Amino acid sequence: MHIVLPRDVSLDGHLVDGAIGYLTIATGIAFVAALGVFLAALVLHRARAGRTWGQHTHGNRARDRALTFAIALILFVAVDVTLAVRATRELEGRFWRYPDHDPAALRVEVTARQWAWSFRTAGPDGRFGTPDDVVTLNELDVPVGRPVYLKLRSRDVVHSLYLPSYRFKIDAIPGSTTRAWFQAVEAGRTEVGCAQHCGVGHTRMRGWLVARDQADYQGWLARAETDSRLRFDPAAGSAADAWDWETGL
Amino acid sequence: MDTETGPLPAAPTGFWRRYVFSTDHKVIGRQFLFLGLGFLAVGGIMAMLIRWQLARPGDPVPVVGRLFFHSAGGVISPPAYTALFTMHGTIMIFFAVTPILIGGFGNFLLPLLIGARDMAFPRLNMASYWTMAAATGVLCASFFVPLGPPQAGWTAYATLSTALGAPGVGQTLWVIAIYLNGASSVMGAVNYITTVLRLRAPGMTYLRLPLTVWGLFLTSILNALFVPVLGAAMVLLLFDRLFGTQFFTAGTTPGAGGDPILYQHLFWLFGHPEVYILILPAWGIVGDLLSFFARKPAFGYRVTVGALVGVVVLSAVVYGHHMFTTGLSPLLGESFMVLTMIISVPTALLVLNWLGTLWRGAIRFSVPMLFCLGMVFTFGVGGLTGLYLADVVADMYLHDTYFVVGHFHLIMAAALLLSLFAAVYFWYPKMFGRMLGERLGRWHFWLTFVPLNLVFMGQLVIGLEGMQRRLYDPSVYEAWRRLAPLNRSISHAAYLLGAAQLLFVWNFFVSLRRGRTAPANPWEVGTLEWSVPSPPPHHNFDTIPVVVRGPHELADPAARPLGRDWLSQTEVLDEPAPGLPVPRGRS
Repeated sequence: MHIVLPRDVSLDGHLVDGAIGYLTIATGIAFVAALGVFLAALVLHRARAGRTWGQHTHGNRARDRALTFAIALILFVAVDVTLAVRATRELEGRFWRYPDHDPAALRVEVTARQWAWSFRTAGPDGRFGTPDDVVTLNELDVPVGRPVYLKLRSRDVVHSLYLPSYRFKIDAIPGSTTRAWFQAVEAGRTEVGCAQHCGVGHTRMRGWLVARDQADYQGWLARAETDSRLRFDPAAGSAADAWDWETGL
Repeated sequence: MDTETGPLPAAPTGFWRRYVFSTDHKVIGRQFLFLGLGFLAVGGIMAMLIRWQLARPGDPVPVVGRLFFHSAGGVISPPAYTALFTMHGTIMIFFAVTPILIGGFGNFLLPLLIGARDMAFPRLNMASYWTMAAATGVLCASFFVPLGPPQAGWTAYATLSTALGAPGVGQTLWVIAIYLNGASSVMGAVNYITTVLRLRAPGMTYLRLPLTVWGLFLTSILNALFVPVLGAAMVLLLFDRLFGTQFFTAGTTPGAGGDPILYQHLFWLFGHPEVYILILPAWGIVGDLLSFFARKPAFGYRVTVGALVGVVVLSAVVYGHHMFTTGLSPLLGESFMVLTMIISVPTALLVLNWLGTLWRGAIRFSVPMLFCLGMVFTFGVGGLTGLYLADVVADMYLHDTYFVVGHFHLIMAAALLLSLFAAVYFWYPKMFGRMLGERLGRWHFWLTFVPLNLVFMGQLVIGLEGMQRRLYDPSVYEAWRRLAPLNRSISHAAYLLGAAQLLFVWNFFVSLRRGRTAPANPWEVGTLEWSVPSPPPHHNFDTIPVVVRGPHELADPAARPLGRDWLSQTEVLDEPAPGLPVPRGRS
């Protein structure tokens, strides 16, 4: 069977695919080896005429133990230790190195609610909760080639923003702010979903991520800013989903 | 040690005392078994309804649709679907596997395997069963209340499970049912631990215990330690739901109110040990049965016991891998990743010892053995796929997808179900005095094993391709529409799996009356339960046995003069036959 993951269009998604690939190869080898011994025992050592007695061993000799522990140790180093080292390096070097001081990063405040996503960027003044914020529902537009820095909150239950084509998900939790970052490497429209069961409408909590080339993005942004400014209504409390980026308040 | 003298306890004669409010561990074991098998059927039917919806989203369910989903014209509605997967998980974990393996086989086997007349606390045992029965009553009542049964998933994450996300009475009843279920488990745990500690027959040292007893004993320790954590979470959740407290609810502003993540910590601090609570008895049973049917001693018994203890010690410090996407601090995330990977070491030792047990055996492919071998295979796949989810990087993509569903079903459904059937086929003669049909048993095995693997490995594939769990209609996502044919195939395998269980039901009930009469020791093994008649008398043992050797003394040359390849745990060999080596205790 040919397993096809959604096309990876992110800067770091290949690290996730690499981990999955390594896991598949390493556990595949271990599994095939164990299965070979298993099937060989079933065939060669089945009870039959001339083989009515098993071997009388408790497997408690030093030699037996050395063998079992050695195999377990090899597996542990080849699979677990390798993966843990690799994952730690990638998490600290990439996924958890948030673009806090990167002026090029696009900062997005994400608010999840049953059953929709709203995405807010700060607009020209660089501050959230002001009339020039660009707010979109169930669609996040981002420029290709710039880091996108998300901070997430939820207004009701736990949700999880899931971008299969960017190989990550991050929960949105009432009462706390979570964060994640990614970068698109090619323009295009990919699906955004909710991964955490959030009630009867869970399956409908879906949207789009639109990655645009720089020029295209600037054009879109200009239109979106105009729209947002026209739509802004201070009396409606439409800024309720905005918070101060740094302090979280 | 129990060296009881005096008259044997008389069997009760009245109907109620004998069959309903019995304190006999063998009766209570069968009560748990029947309750669990009943709910296994209910949970299984729910699974097939879920598969129907995933195969043909929005089509009316044939045959039973009008009955179950009358108001929707036979179609599974979104609330009905969320209720189905919530109740499927709840029932399978708390009301099917727990009562069958721990309540049913635990009760029936523990005293028999260690050479005791009953549990340490027979009346507590009865209370444990009836508390479980009350829990099932409360759970079933939730189907008939306004706003319907609970819909927050079997994990019941706050705040979806608080009044905010689930205003109906159903979720409240769910919380109460889980609490009662936990109370039943803790009563059982206290009883099992005391029984193993205090009531072992003379000579039954810890290293002569069958692995089944080790599994049940360690499970009970985990139950006693971690089910109360779940109980605490349930009480807090109940307070949030009924009395306006805010342990698990929060406003959008950080720092105000309680914390939904606290619920997840409490839930998984119980929830991950729960996986081991369920699998430990299965590991024990499979460890014993592989040795019995390979006709040679369990390979590396002491290492196996050490590995089981190691898993128990580590089980509580790995739970954070369920929460990698909640924004755990980097230190916690990396620690839980490393600890989760470390727990794969004792598990690997366990599996290696199973292979060592099979190697150079004289393997008899009886029906219980077929199920055990099937278990070893599915546990291998299920265990290895767990490593994907231990890796934080891979988990960012795989978390909450069908890969997780496939992985834990390979362990909790496939491996557990197969070892549970192995146990039924193996001990049915001892429980009911009759043998189960062999030919039907073989058909049942193959028609269970093959579709089971197709279903759950299919789920692994769908998960790798990215599809999330708990979607009412995957075709809402453009990306998952191409998975529709595979989803349908998985469903077809699931229907076959469900239908195959009818063979088991038929075999089970027909054999009760018409099965071949079971001899005392049909499988030719040496553990204590096979030294008494099938079924055992009320007091189990006429005289408390004196144990002289371990549980797996097969292929011992000392048995050759006796014309068989096994030695009973109680058999005293007068003197070695001339020309044969002195029987070794443990080589």
